[in-house]
Amino acid sequence: MLEIYGQAFATVLLPQNLIAMVLGALWGLLAGALPGISTSMGVVLILSFTYTLAPMTAFVLLVGAYLGGITGGGITSILFGIPGEPSSVPTVIEGHALAKQGKAAAMWTYLLCSIFGGLFSVLFMIVATPLIADFALRFGPAEYFALTILGLSVVSGLSGGSMLKGFLSCFFGLFLATIGTDGITGEERFTFGTVTLLGGVNFVVAMVGLLAVSEIMIEAEEPFKEYKGMVEYRGLLEELPRFSLFRKYWLTMIRSPIIGTIVGALPGAGATIAAFLAYGEAARTAKHEPAKFGKGAIEGLMAAECANNASTGGSMTILLSLGIPGSNTTAMLVAAFMIHGMQPGPLLLSQRPDIVYGIFTAMIVINLLLLAITGTAIRLFLQLNRLPYSVFSAAILILCVVGAFGINNSVDDMMLMFAFSLIGYFMRKFGVPVAPCILALVLGDLAELSLRRALLLAGGSPLGLVSSPISAVLLLGALVSIVYPLIKKPKMLASS
Amino acid sequence: MKTKGEVVFFAVCVAFFGFMGAQAVALMGEGRAGEIGSALWPLIALCAALGLSAVLLVQAVRRPAAAAVGGEASEPDARDEARRRRKAVVASTACFFLYLVAISFLGFILATLFFIPAFAFALGERRTKVLVAAPLILTTVMTAVFIKFLTIPFPKGVGVFAAFSRLFY
Repeated sequence: MLEIYGQAFATVLLPQNLIAMVLGALWGLLAGALPGISTSMGVVLILSFTYTLAPMTAFVLLVGAYLGGITGGGITSILFGIPGEPSSVPTVIEGHALAKQGKAAAMWTYLLCSIFGGLFSVLFMIVATPLIADFALRFGPAEYFALTILGLSVVSGLSGGSMLKGFLSCFFGLFLATIGTDGITGEERFTFGTVTLLGGVNFVVAMVGLLAVSEIMIEAEEPFKEYKGMVEYRGLLEELPRFSLFRKYWLTMIRSPIIGTIVGALPGAGATIAAFLAYGEAARTAKHEPAKFGKGAIEGLMAAECANNASTGGSMTILLSLGIPGSNTTAMLVAAFMIHGMQPGPLLLSQRPDIVYGIFTAMIVINLLLLAITGTAIRLFLQLNRLPYSVFSAAILILCVVGAFGINNSVDDMMLMFAFSLIGYFMRKFGVPVAPCILALVLGDLAELSLRRALLLAGGSPLGLVSSPISAVLLLGALVSIVYPLIKKPKMLASS
Repeated sequence: MKTKGEVVFFAVCVAFFGFMGAQAVALMGEGRAGEIGSALWPLIALCAALGLSAVLLVQAVRRPAAAAVGGEASEPDARDEARRRRKAVVASTACFFLYLVAISFLGFILATLFFIPAFAFALGERRTKVLVAAPLILTTVMTAVFIKFLTIPFPKGVGVFAAFSRLFY
């Protein structure tokens, strides 16, 4: 085992991979730190540039952007009070309040806790992924179908306000996944004679349009702003917290990454619920200064950031072992695997252990890189917020165009991206979340093929889908994860 | 206003999913014997989407009266603001669409050079320095990174524009 990790470290530390990790982490930090770009948008913007890269280089670049984005969100949350991601809301509540009070330790406390949470979850990932993947090797088409349905059931967690709209988005995504040549019969479906659609809807084109361009269009509705503003930062020595701070809150430092990792591993839960749960738990059990929660409690900031970053390891565990993306960002990583001719899931560990163990070790290295990069470049990130926003959004759109065109060097793909951006804009405008659509687009093909294969094996009988205990349990899990929020929501409303 | 838009949006959804559903029905029975046809899965997705769109349409249709009575949309200021927002979105979206079209005719470099100030202007940018300097800097950076370094074969344009693009790639 040590030999495998030794090889993985040697691969990850190759110059091209090291450069990719640094660039990915920098880009992710930038995306997370700049208001208007989310982590998922950051990942999707570089996804299309990974086509020509070696698989390992591509994955470390994308994972770097993913981890960087989650970490970078804290910068704007603390300094500007703008949560780049919903998961950064507790960080805004406590971190921004601390920054406004002139509490120098806030920035570095956030950073150290983020990295600690990230590293903790990687250790969990290293232990849990092979165990889960080994179990999942028993899966046949029926189990795979059940697994994808469980993956799609995360729609309930990604729906935001309305479950109906979330499921509408999900079914739209499933429909989009059927466009093109049928994988079993070879029939053309919904192509209307166009050659562009014969190969199906490209993930990246759809993601760039639905997620990135539509976001800029929504931002265009906001009143004109020259800059996002500027906040004073005093420097490393003044901002670095003392070790006694972490000793004082040791219980929070242990409990929060555990919560984050477990919640991150649950489909649909993700970083937001992890951060809120850990923050809530810290507030509930606070012994030192509980009255400060909501007004600048450093313990709350520590809990939220530890859990927030720890959720990445949990999500990656389920992605690598079962092939289920728990969020739209990890859905993009599924797309990246497919682009490089791989399917994340139990077979990946036996077919491409180099990639899986490489990702494990890369996540350790990236977390350490993030500590170094963020620590030294905080001042630079703050300067970037002085870029004229109008020009900045134009630059993002150009990146979108480059991303869509670069896939097949096709102008048609750019137009398709534009069509998706309009769809994404109207979806967002009328409260239909785009994340379930992206998730369904990624999982749709696997779900359909598994269903049809399972039905063929069962002679067309739907009972074949629940004949094995594993598939029955997985389908039951999917049912529970869809129905539970429906039952829970009215209760929460009633109690509030 | 938003409610009216919602009604239109979900009505379009119903029409779209209904039309695609009809297309899916046409696919039925074309599979080989003993095989689950290629229409099954899209039909499941489209029927579900159609049903959900219809429910959301009904919900949206029932909402307007309540929204119009106490709604902010009836106030002149709010109407002006909504109009301003729509204008900015339409103008910036039109700029982006024209940019996509123009890339084929003007080439990537010239289209980008014109797109940046036009888009920034549409968003409300009025500072001359920004409108002049930003396109030059950004286009140079984009050209250096994507054309020179990553060698992406962007369209060169036609006629004289193609000749201009050939100076760079």
